[in-house]
Amino acid sequence: MLQSGQQLDLVFAALADPTRRAILARLSAGEATVNELVEPFDLSQPTISKHLKVLEGAGLVSRGREAQFRPVRLNAAPLETAAHWIGDYRRFWEESFDRLDAYASELHRKEKNHGRKRKRSSK
Amino acid sequence: MAASANAAASESIADRTVVITRELNAPVRIVFEAMSKPEHVIKWFGPVGWPLTKCDMDFRVGGKFSFAMTGPNGVQNTPFGGTYREIVPNKRIVYDNGFEIEGAGRMVHTIILEEKGEKTSLTFSTLFDTVAMRNEHVGMGFVVGVNSGFDQLNDLVDTMARSAGRKG
Repeated sequence: MLQSGQQLDLVFAALADPTRRAILARLSAGEATVNELVEPFDLSQPTISKHLKVLEGAGLVSRGREAQFRPVRLNAAPLETAAHWIGDYRRFWEESFDRLDAYASELHRKEKNHGRKRKRSSK
Repeated sequence: MAASANAAASESIADRTVVITRELNAPVRIVFEAMSKPEHVIKWFGPVGWPLTKCDMDFRVGGKFSFAMTGPNGVQNTPFGGTYREIVPNKRIVYDNGFEIEGAGRMVHTIILEEKGEKTSLTFSTLFDTVAMRNEHVGMGFVVGVNSGFDQLNDLVDTMARSAGRKG
């Protein structure tokens, strides 16, 4: 799992371009050759290849081995990592503190109950 | 790390900090207890669906902690952790934190607890190494950088992850 800050930098940088997002969206429907990726865009093949290199560097796509066709595939794992990180500092802690609130209240209730039991048993 | 150290030197602490405040419905000593022992921390730490599956804590000044969460896909994520720098019972905990990966960014968390009768006011502040790291964590860097909404990206990422999952 690629998860360092630097890896996230690469993923976010790769996603920060509309053509690359469109390429990823296309690949989410299934693998494609470079030529198939060139068609829907008004861009040259070297330009598409350059974008693919960025996506590959971020671990978002991989290329097949067949020299002639080399189909390009989407790798979803770094996207999941990115999704997990996106804006989620607040969500992470706010959800944690919700749970802490519930858990600490429960501890407090238990303590009060134990206290009562102790008092009763000491009589 | 030299680059980020230089960046940090020229970036104000305020710009590198994010603060969350809460009121918790239990007395301060209970909240502190819930934060200071692994058997308690494991019960609340992390978002729903991401339980701690590693929770090592040596809760004393200079002691280390190491946590890891397991997500809905059942795979344990990269561990993260750091060192407790200050512990003032029922008042204050300061610790550093970051992924246990060479070169990963670091942050320093400061927890301040204040007694409000039977309730506790909690201030949780995080100082990131750099403004870039802070923005990455709160999502702003990406949104500003590409002039595109968060939700949009979330949707895109979700859709792609889902459709890739279906095929895989």
